[in-house]
Amino acid sequence: MRKFILNYLIPRIGQYLMVIFVGVTLTFIIPRLSPNDPVETQVSQMMMSGSHVSPEEIEHLREALTEMYGLSGSPWEQYLAFWGRLLRGDLGPSLSTFPTPVSTLLGRAMPWTFGLLLTAVLISWVIGNVLGAIASYHEGNPAIRLVDILSQAVRPIPYYIMALVLLVVFAYYIPIFPFSGAYPPGMHVELSWSFAMTVIRHSILPALSLILIGLGGWFIGMKSLTSNIISEDYVVYAENAGLRQNTILYQYVMRNALLPQITGLALQLGLIFSGALIMEVVFGYPGMGLLTLQAVMANDYTLIMGITLLSIVGVATSVLILDFIYPLFDPRVRHQ
Amino acid sequence: MYRISRRKFLAQLGLVTASGALASCAGPITVPSNQGNQGQVAAPTEAAKEAAEEVVIASDAGEVAPGVPRAETLILENPTGRVVPADDFNRWRPGIQSASTGLQQLGLDALWYIDPDAGIDGVWDNSLAADKPIYNEDFTQMTVKLREGIYWSDGVEFTADDLIYTVDTLKNTEGMSYTGQFAKYVASMEKPDNYTVVFNLAEPNSRFHGLFTVRWSACFMMPKHIFEQQEDIVAYTFNPPVSLGPYVLKDFDPNGNWYLWERREDWQRTTLARFGMPAPTYVMYIAPGPSDKKVIAQTSGELDVIHDIAPEGMITLARTHPTSKGWFKSFPWAHPDPTLPAVIYNNEKPGLDNRDVRWALTLAIDIVRVAMASYRGAATISAIHVPPTGLYPQYYFEPLQPWLNDFTIEIDGEAYKAYDPEAATRIADAARETLGDLVPTDPEEIRKAIGYGWWRYDLEAAEKLMLQAGMTRNDSGIWQLPSGEPFKMALLAEGETRPVMNRGAAMIVENWKEFGIDATLDVRDNASRSRLALLGEFDAEFSWTIETWGGHPDLFFFLESWHSAFYRPTGENAAGRNRMRWKHPELDPIIEAIQRLDFDDPKGIELGLEFIKLAAREMPITPIMSYNVFSVCDEVYWEGFPTAEDPYTNPVANWANTKYMFVKIRPKA
Repeated sequence: MRKFILNYLIPRIGQYLMVIFVGVTLTFIIPRLSPNDPVETQVSQMMMSGSHVSPEEIEHLREALTEMYGLSGSPWEQYLAFWGRLLRGDLGPSLSTFPTPVSTLLGRAMPWTFGLLLTAVLISWVIGNVLGAIASYHEGNPAIRLVDILSQAVRPIPYYIMALVLLVVFAYYIPIFPFSGAYPPGMHVELSWSFAMTVIRHSILPALSLILIGLGGWFIGMKSLTSNIISEDYVVYAENAGLRQNTILYQYVMRNALLPQITGLALQLGLIFSGALIMEVVFGYPGMGLLTLQAVMANDYTLIMGITLLSIVGVATSVLILDFIYPLFDPRVRHQ
Repeated sequence: MYRISRRKFLAQLGLVTASGALASCAGPITVPSNQGNQGQVAAPTEAAKEAAEEVVIASDAGEVAPGVPRAETLILENPTGRVVPADDFNRWRPGIQSASTGLQQLGLDALWYIDPDAGIDGVWDNSLAADKPIYNEDFTQMTVKLREGIYWSDGVEFTADDLIYTVDTLKNTEGMSYTGQFAKYVASMEKPDNYTVVFNLAEPNSRFHGLFTVRWSACFMMPKHIFEQQEDIVAYTFNPPVSLGPYVLKDFDPNGNWYLWERREDWQRTTLARFGMPAPTYVMYIAPGPSDKKVIAQTSGELDVIHDIAPEGMITLARTHPTSKGWFKSFPWAHPDPTLPAVIYNNEKPGLDNRDVRWALTLAIDIVRVAMASYRGAATISAIHVPPTGLYPQYYFEPLQPWLNDFTIEIDGEAYKAYDPEAATRIADAARETLGDLVPTDPEEIRKAIGYGWWRYDLEAAEKLMLQAGMTRNDSGIWQLPSGEPFKMALLAEGETRPVMNRGAAMIVENWKEFGIDATLDVRDNASRSRLALLGEFDAEFSWTIETWGGHPDLFFFLESWHSAFYRPTGENAAGRNRMRWKHPELDPIIEAIQRLDFDDPKGIELGLEFIKLAAREMPITPIMSYNVFSVCDEVYWEGFPTAEDPYTNPVANWANTKYMFVKIRPKA
């Protein structure tokens, strides 16, 4: 146990913290390299509206906004102040929607992204892997072959093209699904069966666009992995021993082929925190993708940092969790 | 103990999930609205039943929210999109996102409104003010008489204290809107009685009232009894907002996607009551998304008023959804805003500091192709430096036609007639090739829809002007400065967030390239573009600097900052609208003369005409067209929207002036 902690856990935790530190530092630096300044954005908006303000008054306003936004001081002072706030759990105020805290905006957007993408990823992963394994093991089956062809055809399509097609077909020409939003205007977020049903109904098209494309990828990957494993000695032995085909498929073949797919799933789950930008724009889904777009368009430093931080922590944490649970799946790692 | 196999568990899980998905496809349960507009249910007669069967949609309208009948709700687009943060209604803080959620249209009120079109009862409306502003002789004092009997939605009366508090607070609070203007102009205020405020101005300003006069927006009144209790005015979110307008905020989406307003029970104690009761019991502003979503929303009966849509979306609605109506009955549909997109040259740049070069660039623009590219031909063009909107055709365009027809510029010692009176007709002909009968053929209709003439597209004349200016072509035929240095023109433009501007700019660049100009399209986000333009770090920009009242002929709204006192050279932020850095000895006297006049003095139009003639001669910017907004109103639930035939106000949903629409529209019979 001591060896496990010293040689396995601690190095991985150390690596995790280092990744987050470097990621956060880069996130702090990069927006500030942009020539666009959030204070100038606000000043420019006022000037473009035709306000007749003298240059002295503009300078005064600039100083006031810089102070208000916490952008005064040298970059090093801002960096230290940022870490101080971060360690207290304060991501600062959003500059474009001042004085709303960044954490509030993230808290509102995250559940939508998490719910939709988590569901879509898990569904596409399960179905894709099951079908991929079956496709490889029962190669001659015509139905499976059809699924194979469709997966190959759908896989290269960008998910946002699929989203547009689904929107036009099922929200305009055959209007059976809503065309926008996570819930209809006039409705409030609440814990009720009717609201849950409404959310599910609104999420079907967005989820479908992600599932159909994602499914193709998992299918092809699993099929490829399985095709290597079915020729392994232990599989041949199990067949000769007379075990049922389904038992061989699920207990022997899939279980071994799943390991790389689990790694892929963990990474994919980590990326959930970034949202699916274009899908959210197409469907008007109030998730992290739309929030990111808003932050970038408005040069909102603090919101950009908050979103990126969440993404970095999400991916790093999912990899760390994967490192922790991998020994449970793979006895070889456990033995090492 | 009962054991369930993995297979059975997975099968049952799949069954439950599929059932849930199917159940959700059934859609939300809604309660059909009551018959009639007032929620009164009566036993239907045979005739009523037959009528009800015809009007399927209205009677099966359902609800937009619990207890909010669709048939009693007007749904409009909020062009801001999703509002973040959703719960911030402090209209007086710069950068607020919720201005167009119904806040400035229905919740707030101002002293005066000038309509961009004809107006509900003339272009000028005394709203919170009982009368027009009263100036002393030298415009150093302005007296405002307030309307009595106007109440905030919480029952407190609106008085002079609110006006004084608004100005004083904004003047003395850093980081608020209008701080600079009030600090500059307001020396002191007096309150002779509860309904009168006297402003003593720090310097003469005959247009000081403009700050309180709505043209899209203005300085709205703050409720003193609410704001004075707040510790930090800047951080205060004013949630829930206390209304001075005829509606109160009933509900809103914490994610910022919709805002629901309800008509006040005491709507008679608001300024709009002078014109009647606002018909919709409820008003909802939503963020439907891009153009394709707006088309879907309106055809589904979920959006009554579209703020703006791409020309293709308008054409789709015109062809497939007969109840969708634009400002014009047919082509070009769009409402011309009192805003003038133009090619704004930096008059300090080498080459562009020469009038002949600016004129050459103008004559190298093919307005037909620009109109087709930007608006599919549905553009209202303008050869002169005011937008062809509202009442300006009768104030400026019509009177100037003879002058324009005779106007000449000197090319190689000869008088060259630069004006093409048939430009609009040529645009109509080009548009008719794709839109067929939708495009009018009557010359008067074409004039109303597309405009008058424009400048000639004449590359030969443009060439002579360039040579006259000392420009030369290099071996590749590309124009260069007299010094032999390259003459490059990067045209700053918006991205796809405003496609008509982006496409128009792209076509202008193409025209210039054909003429031999080393031109490029420089697409930037709004913040970058405005920063470069304000600093003068650009060659040319396709945007607007000229905005007018629309209904009122006064040009001081934009002309004020064209005075040399506001001039800032390249490298310093332009103070106001003179991004083109244009100075002319004849310009200041015109502006000063207008400033000395009363706002309604007809001599203002004469001075305006003088300005237009000067600008035409000097061409500091090349005017292109009005900013046409494809506002589309759906007549499934409501009718009586403003149109070109009945221009009682502007239908563009985010304008505060649209409040007048609510007393004129009525439920569809």
